[in-house]
Amino acid sequence: MTLSMAKYINGAIKVKVSGHMPEKFINLCVAQNILLWGINKSGSDLFVWMFLNDFYTIRAIARKSRTRVSIIKRYGLPFTVKRLKKRKILLIGPVIFFIVLNVLASYIWFVDVIGIKNLRSDRVKEIAYSQGLKPGAMKNNINSKHIENEILVNLPEVAWVGVTFSGTRAVVEVVEKNIAKPEDKSPAHIVAAKDGIITEAIILAGQSTLKKGDTVKRGDLLIKGFIPEQITSPTSADQPPIISVPQQLIKAKGIVKARVWYESYGESELVKAIHERTGEQQVSVILKIGSNEIVLKNSQQEQFKLYDTEVIHKKLPRWRNSDFVVESIINIFHELEEKTSEITLEEARDQAKSKALETVQRNIPETANILSRNIELINTSEPNLVRVKVTIEAEEEIGQSIVISQQ
Amino acid sequence: MQSPKKGRLQRLAGLLEIPQDIVMDLPRITMLGNKQLLVENHKGIIEYTPSLIRIKLNQGELIVSGANFTLGNLQIEQILVEGTVEEIRYDA
Repeated sequence: MTLSMAKYINGAIKVKVSGHMPEKFINLCVAQNILLWGINKSGSDLFVWMFLNDFYTIRAIARKSRTRVSIIKRYGLPFTVKRLKKRKILLIGPVIFFIVLNVLASYIWFVDVIGIKNLRSDRVKEIAYSQGLKPGAMKNNINSKHIENEILVNLPEVAWVGVTFSGTRAVVEVVEKNIAKPEDKSPAHIVAAKDGIITEAIILAGQSTLKKGDTVKRGDLLIKGFIPEQITSPTSADQPPIISVPQQLIKAKGIVKARVWYESYGESELVKAIHERTGEQQVSVILKIGSNEIVLKNSQQEQFKLYDTEVIHKKLPRWRNSDFVVESIINIFHELEEKTSEITLEEARDQAKSKALETVQRNIPETANILSRNIELINTSEPNLVRVKVTIEAEEEIGQSIVISQQ
Repeated sequence: MQSPKKGRLQRLAGLLEIPQDIVMDLPRITMLGNKQLLVENHKGIIEYTPSLIRIKLNQGELIVSGANFTLGNLQIEQILVEGTVEEIRYDA
């Protein structure tokens, strides 16, 4: 390994030795400690590989052995360098390439803003651009600390900003503050969202005559958005009471809890028909070119009494946004068999119950407190059918804020 | 060849278990099948053609005949013959 490397670095030449006694030339070389290899003879000429440095010392040997020496082949770094010196452009090309690459990589080409939720990225970009962070700017001239501060100062919604570079891309990472939304202060009533019996009524703002045990219907006014009228009690008997302050609209606040009932029905059949795949199948293959369809393989799915169809579209993957017009459609027809499955009354009831519960659960809000659950079996005229009624009693907040439209 | 001095040296080498080629200045010939032939401690090439090589040794010469001979790595102390070796003969 080291020898072949030495051959490449120092350079080697193949020499043709022609003359009367080429063996003498070899012996003299060996005596002079010149390394020879790949010695070959064709006719009377001898071909020898040797190091380039040794070539300058063999002149005397050639004269002594009365042979003529001429170079046939050159190999190694010294010759490559010599050739490259002749073709300077070949060397300059890669150098220019790396210089251009370096220069282009030292500019910013893209500015990305990430981490934005509510803010517009234009606003962040605008500030970044005005501070010099824009496509075409030199990376070295950009003070990312300064830009970060500038964005933080100009955008109060931003909690933290980081400016980083990845290649020619400048990434502005923004973390927004979580600012609490200003409360809606417009006057509003609280009305009942559902029918129910009031169990608890806490009025924080507004006017109400609600009592525990009152029955309300959906849409009933629970808390009025008025400031309670101030009735100045008569200071003396002869003065009539003054009802002074005009009613002022406010936003009603309060917690109104009520008992609410939910009802739902569920059914289940004792004997049910189900379709099962028998395993028999027919396949048809259609080749679609543009809008033309060519049937490659037809199927006799008509021989199945019942079947379901599975359609597989096979397409070539999209290539450079152009869709291929060729597509193959494989239809698989599975034969179906009708079977009846019987279940016991108990199982049918459970199924009906779970169905009913599922539908009723959708209407009950998660915050509701379920008080009782009543499941009732309903007798039907049909012997095959099991019907279940589910009643759920829950306590929940029924107040709903409705803005008072002001004239 | 068999001078009394040489005979004594050989006995001494045998006694001390020293390889004889070092003591006696004999050529060491290594063959790899019939593909390669390495001759160490030679005294030069007398004749070289692709089918015949004559190598000068301390005493006499080694005649190698065969086909497609090339000499690889020719140095002062060794010769590597590559090709197809058919016959090796000592000629004193």
